[in-house]
Amino acid sequence: MTNKPDYARYGRRRLIKGAGIAGLAGLAGCVGTGDPGDGGDGGDGSDGSDGGDGMDGEDGGDGSDGGNDMASEIDVWGWDVAARALTITADEYESENDATIAVEEFGRSAMKDRLQTNLLSGSGAPAVSMLESVDGPSFIDTGSVAPLTDEIEEAGVQEDFVSGKWEALTVDGDIYALPWDTGPTAVYYRRSVYGEHDIDPDSIETWEDFIEEGQKLPDDQYMLNLPEGDLSGVWRYQFRQLSGEPFLESGEVNIHNEKSLRVARNIKEIYDADIAANIEGWTSAWFSAYGDATIASLPSAAWMEGTLRDELPDTAGDWGVFKIPALESGGPRASNWGGSNLMIADQVSDEAQARGWDYMEFTLATEEMQLAMYDEYGLFPALETTYDDPVFDEELDFYDGQAARALFAEVAQDAPGYRFTADTPEVSQAIETELQRMINGEQSPEEAVQAAAETVAENTDRDLA
Amino acid sequence: MREQQRKDAVWRFLTYAFVITMVVVMMVPLYWMLVAATLPQEQFLQFPPRLIPGTAFLDNFAALQERLDFLRTIRNSVLIAVVYTLLSLVLCSMAGFAFAKYEFKYKEPIFYAILATLVLPIQLLVIPLFLLMAQLEWTNTFRAIILPWAANPIGIFLMRQNMKSIPDALLESARMDGATEFQIFYRIALPTMRSSLAALAIILFLFQWDLFLYPLVILESADMYTIPIGLAQLTGFQRIYYDQIMVAATLAIVPMVVLFLVLQKQFVSGILAGSLKE
Repeated sequence: MTNKPDYARYGRRRLIKGAGIAGLAGLAGCVGTGDPGDGGDGGDGSDGSDGGDGMDGEDGGDGSDGGNDMASEIDVWGWDVAARALTITADEYESENDATIAVEEFGRSAMKDRLQTNLLSGSGAPAVSMLESVDGPSFIDTGSVAPLTDEIEEAGVQEDFVSGKWEALTVDGDIYALPWDTGPTAVYYRRSVYGEHDIDPDSIETWEDFIEEGQKLPDDQYMLNLPEGDLSGVWRYQFRQLSGEPFLESGEVNIHNEKSLRVARNIKEIYDADIAANIEGWTSAWFSAYGDATIASLPSAAWMEGTLRDELPDTAGDWGVFKIPALESGGPRASNWGGSNLMIADQVSDEAQARGWDYMEFTLATEEMQLAMYDEYGLFPALETTYDDPVFDEELDFYDGQAARALFAEVAQDAPGYRFTADTPEVSQAIETELQRMINGEQSPEEAVQAAAETVAENTDRDLA
Repeated sequence: MREQQRKDAVWRFLTYAFVITMVVVMMVPLYWMLVAATLPQEQFLQFPPRLIPGTAFLDNFAALQERLDFLRTIRNSVLIAVVYTLLSLVLCSMAGFAFAKYEFKYKEPIFYAILATLVLPIQLLVIPLFLLMAQLEWTNTFRAIILPWAANPIGIFLMRQNMKSIPDALLESARMDGATEFQIFYRIALPTMRSSLAALAIILFLFQWDLFLYPLVILESADMYTIPIGLAQLTGFQRIYYDQIMVAATLAIVPMVVLFLVLQKQFVSGILAGSLKE
């Protein structure tokens, strides 16, 4: 029945739901959990995408710049350190071009809510804004994001970025954003704890090895944290590690396949082995458990380094990283967790779009700029051509002299793509519920993935693969 | 007799114990907010949490103020909420009076149509309202935040219910004495409604004080932000500024607490006023 990835079908219902979730999250003062998957639900395909012209006041950016048909001023939206990183490139860009790039910093969920409304209503969006990969399809779905396929082709930059980034930015053959940073995964571990209990990170190749080594820790210490409440995050990075796709290209739900089952079994094995703590992520108890090494390792992504540096400064120098274990011997050990891009709103004037693209290309496809943002704010570049830079071979004090960036660069290039859709939040929710029931012993891994797939199929009106 | 007294005492003890427990449960998060506002970020993340206030309140406040002009944000919120509350009180009491005391065509259907708008979630209204404001070129203005909600259906409902209890004979005798309809409303009806108006004032103020999604979309520049929007700007991705958020949240409740304390007596009796009909 569903023959194509049907992004625009569930229009109104999704709009209301999306806005509802976004609104509730906002009203509840919802804070970012660090899981790039927790953003508001998707937007809608059809409504409001035609508004546009005639009423976007200041954002369109008027005034052409001396005959080259680019606006002299544009707005750029981002959040947190990313927005601050953009000010670096904006300054550089302004010094080389006769243009003003006005970067505005927002809170993360606040910006998503607002941008989505602006896109849906066809008014008020900035020329350039940040777009998390996980939100890609749901924002593109609004019909208000400008396709960049021609620009990217003309600039010839597609090959310069890690291949795993493009899938989430491509809908029906068109590319809608330019990759910025990426989240290559690795296991962070406390060197002192591993050393004390004779755990050799080099000997850990599979999750089975990981569990076995974890048994060496005393009862009051844990090998990792596996919080009920974020099982879907764990499931996703491992599923992606196996090149799993939650939906087939033709749209069917595909989370009950062999790969998903393998991951569910793995999660159950880790849980049953009693090596995992169960502490809600990003709480004070969580930080504290990593601070005092109650938990010895943390599977996460490159961006976690910044958080550890900021929040647990006393642990600097005691960390190391190794690639996430394979699900079976010889299997892939690369995945991705998080990452952002820049997009252009098609409601702004052609001149503003042209300026926006010019600035975007300068910011993201220039090695110097990507490296500057990495250096200053730890945004791991998705621009693969930067990985030859000597900065990646540097031995870092934070990792007791390990050249961790080289490891992340290797993982980034190997990480498979992932088909995020506007229904991705449905997948997360169903997997979360069913895996929780699984680890509580209420059902087997087979039953869990099957039930999750059925729930998603029913809620999204799709067929099972 | 003594047996009865003992029984009463036990009951009273249990009641108080229960109430005190509930008060503690409800006050703990507030207390933690106050304490956390005085701690530097590192101590905020300590576990078990520190429960004795620290000395970093002013530092946290300075950091907050540097990141975002929060005093201005409070001023914006107070201004919007006060103007909105006054305007809405006028509109709601007039509409409530009309629905309670006049007969006119389609009175009931109109009233129920107004009530029915209560079921529309704000999220549904945001996009059409935003488009309307964009066409009026009212985006990034306070009037765009205040006017769309000024005729508040809860307010109209509450005032209608309460005004029904005003005896018709009273209004009739005023009419005989030559009072105009507006004088009847203003001189006779309104003064009897003081406690209801106070209760409604708190409800309206709180509604506007907490409004998030709509002002988020309408208010574009940082110097126009209200408190909820300002708070949302403090939550980034990799780093959440708990210390600043706690200071901001602490400051944000002050005007609410003051308003409630001032109107407390009227508030309680006002809420109960509509519950019994003669």
